[in-house]
Amino acid sequence: MFPGVYGFTWEPGNLIFLGIFYSVVAIILGTMGIVLVRSLKDFQSQKADQIRWKLDFEDLPEGNRTCRHELTGEFRHRTCERGFDCRECPDHAKLVASKIRTIHPGYETGDEEGCILGFDMPLERQYHRGHTWVMTEPDGTTTVGLDDFGSRLIGEPDEVRLPAAGTSLHLNGTAWHFKKNGSDLRILSPVDGEVIQTGGKKAGWYLKLKPLGKKMDTRHLLRGAEIRPWLAREMERLEFSLAADGVGMSLADGGALVEDLSKEYPSLDWDAVWGQMFLEP
Amino acid sequence: MDKQLIIRGLRRSPLSKFLLWILPWVALLGLGLYAGYLCLARGLNQTNMDNRFAFGLWIYLDLTIIALGAGAFFTGFLLYILKKDQLKAVINSAVVLGLICYSGAIVVLMVDVGQPLRAWFTFWHPNVHSMLTEVTFCITCYLTVLLVEYAPLVLRNRKLRQIPSLLVFEFHLHKVMYVLAGVGTFLSFFHQGSLGGLYGVLRGRPFAFREGIGIWPSTFFLFILSAIAAGPSFILLTTWLVSKLSKKELVKREVLSLLGRISGILLMVYVLFKTIDTLIWINHTAPASGFNPFDFYSWEPFGTWLLFAEIVVCGLLPAIILLDKKRREQTGWLVSAAFLVCVGVMLNRFVFTIQTLALPTLPFDRFLSYVPSWQETATFLAVVAYGVLIYSLSFRYLPLFPQEKELRQS
Amino acid sequence: MDTKNKKQHRYGMVIDLDKCTGCGACMVACAVENNIPPATAKATDRTGITWVRVYKFDNGLPFPNNRSAYIPMPCQQCGEHTPCVSVCPQKAVEVDAASGIVAQIPVRCLGCRYCMTACPYHARYFNWWDPVWPAGMEKTLNPDVSPRMRGVVEKCNFCHERLQAARAKAAAEGRDEIDPSDYQPACVEACPTGAITFGDLADPNSEVAQLVQNGHAFRMLETLGTEPKVYYRSDQAWVRQIAQQEVQKPKAKEKVHG
Repeated sequence: MFPGVYGFTWEPGNLIFLGIFYSVVAIILGTMGIVLVRSLKDFQSQKADQIRWKLDFEDLPEGNRTCRHELTGEFRHRTCERGFDCRECPDHAKLVASKIRTIHPGYETGDEEGCILGFDMPLERQYHRGHTWVMTEPDGTTTVGLDDFGSRLIGEPDEVRLPAAGTSLHLNGTAWHFKKNGSDLRILSPVDGEVIQTGGKKAGWYLKLKPLGKKMDTRHLLRGAEIRPWLAREMERLEFSLAADGVGMSLADGGALVEDLSKEYPSLDWDAVWGQMFLEP
Repeated sequence: MDKQLIIRGLRRSPLSKFLLWILPWVALLGLGLYAGYLCLARGLNQTNMDNRFAFGLWIYLDLTIIALGAGAFFTGFLLYILKKDQLKAVINSAVVLGLICYSGAIVVLMVDVGQPLRAWFTFWHPNVHSMLTEVTFCITCYLTVLLVEYAPLVLRNRKLRQIPSLLVFEFHLHKVMYVLAGVGTFLSFFHQGSLGGLYGVLRGRPFAFREGIGIWPSTFFLFILSAIAAGPSFILLTTWLVSKLSKKELVKREVLSLLGRISGILLMVYVLFKTIDTLIWINHTAPASGFNPFDFYSWEPFGTWLLFAEIVVCGLLPAIILLDKKRREQTGWLVSAAFLVCVGVMLNRFVFTIQTLALPTLPFDRFLSYVPSWQETATFLAVVAYGVLIYSLSFRYLPLFPQEKELRQS
Repeated sequence: MDTKNKKQHRYGMVIDLDKCTGCGACMVACAVENNIPPATAKATDRTGITWVRVYKFDNGLPFPNNRSAYIPMPCQQCGEHTPCVSVCPQKAVEVDAASGIVAQIPVRCLGCRYCMTACPYHARYFNWWDPVWPAGMEKTLNPDVSPRMRGVVEKCNFCHERLQAARAKAAAEGRDEIDPSDYQPACVEACPTGAITFGDLADPNSEVAQLVQNGHAFRMLETLGTEPKVYYRSDQAWVRQIAQQEVQKPKAKEKVHG
């Protein structure tokens, strides 16, 4: 095996064989070394949440990755490739610049006052695809909460695990956790920010954040006219998700969702439905 | 707790039912471990091998499961190197199968050798002219590669994924998978070959001896070909079987067809070369070493029917079925053909390991028979049980079939 | 010992099948010389250890034309393409350049038995059991030969320890070469009919070299190209024929070991 070990000779066969063997070992060890170094680097720079979202996003079925510009009808078909982060998306920037985006009230005839498709979705709030809302307060802080759609899906959670004040949140990282029926639900953070205060279901909001940089960047959040088509699509997604479990109900015609959907259909695989709807497949 | 370990959105049977399913396999594994212990503690006299039948059931098992496990490296090669993206649907399952086959083979080899504690001698003073050295080096390296390929699968388990460090590690591990697939292909290629070479170089066994190219007898190349032809068929067969047993659709139908087609093409090439090789052996190699090739087949029950079964019934026939688009689209034909392919490769390994040793070489010697002892059989079955257990656990808790969720929802 | 300036030897033997009575004295002498443990009760003719094994064969004709003969089979000490040497994964089998003897090194053997499948003469034996000598019998052990452990392969080495002894004696007497009469394997000594002749095939004047030349000598499975250094001879044509005829058809001869 090595020069000096009994039986080692400098004949070509020996050298070729051992040369190949050592190369293979070197490649395997080298690759593992690279993997370890990269992992350590990313782990130390706290990229775990980003990576988790990247992997989760790739795992989402294509229908769940629809671009917001498809929702509004600007594209016939377009799938998001950047994990719902429009901030760096050149197409999004172009579309916003080229058109004066009509931020007309999302209400249409038939909607009750302040309701879109039967959900209480105030238009002064901006929405994240993971069913959280964001509102910038006059004092420069940002309030984050679970939107009406999301809270009806979950109903009364068994446990809420909120981050401590001072925690830095990153877009599409973990904002907080719910526990319900033994399922652990991760709610995605809609923005980058530092937690300054925590609320709860009763308070009507969950987190108060201050921007990590100078200003809170909310370009990627849905707003105004986008809310209605998005909600319609979410209803479809939910129906689809429930249908997979054999519940062939039509949620859209029946008006609003009940307050606690999971209570209504306890036999369903809610863990899977929540995973689908809160973008954690 | 158990529910928390199952991939979100996948349906798995209740824990009690699962435990009931694995119980008999655990029992079988236990029995096999006891038999293995007997062989290690009391020696190989516990087997029915002898000085004349120095290789028995275990070597047959090793050669066979490693041939069937070739699906792992070949699928990896097709997916990561040749970019056959459709095969993503079965790569995880293929890796698990490969891991089971290779680790099972190595464990059995460790019981099979008389002095397992001296296994490292092969590394310390290797005889590079021996095919067994090549096999030992390649299998050990490739098992390492398989473990590294299996690691991301385990880390993708729902609970383990929650640990940030493991998640990051898995992410980066997955990114370098093409390097490992490349190394795995290289290693597998060589040792599938050297397993064939193992018998092809046996000058003293004219039934197995083959001429070849350079240092490699023709069996070197034929074993590679038959293994990569049978590998996809074995994946097809297991996927179909798991799908039947779990009553779930696991991969899209066209993936199975693609596996069948790949298997069919390679099998056709193999049958062609195997036929040429057999003709050369009959007309040249065997007579040159002073033997009439048909005398080898004059010992019942190992008659020429074996040759016919191996090349025609389990070679040409399934190849034709798999290459016919219409037949391939019918699951009955597809699965039967894949089954025949696997039987064919098992038969080929049987002929090389068992028939070779049963035949006499000395003129006054006789034909030998050998029946494995219960200890050998139990150890053999333990490998099967071990495979079923690892696969069942992987199927329950790890994302083996990426398309399953999608298929459930449509 | 410096072997570079020494003469190259090719030790071999010629076994006269016309003289072999199948008595098995060679097997016993070999076992005693080489510390082969008494077989356990469970051992069979296929699991026991006999470095030299005597086979019986006949001409296949019915009485009264039936003729039979015995053939002792030690390791044939192949000279070319030595099947067992190239297959061993860890260099536990070597051909000694100075003597031409194929040496098995049990302490390095892994027990994979690949060499046994490679050997066309079935001259290799595996230690299926732990070697056990009944109380008191360990006193019969030959101090010049180390016993082997369970799980390794062993085989005839032309009583290599006797070659060592002869070399030691030659060195003590200031000679470069051994006296051929100092080196005779145990089986050669034990054969009551003197059927086995042993010597240096490389020396044209040696008795073995002469016997090989006499025309009635042959080797087993010569067509395999392994160039054995064990020759057989017989003046009976049918013996030469049968031993040289390759693999037999079924219904052929049965085998009994002596």
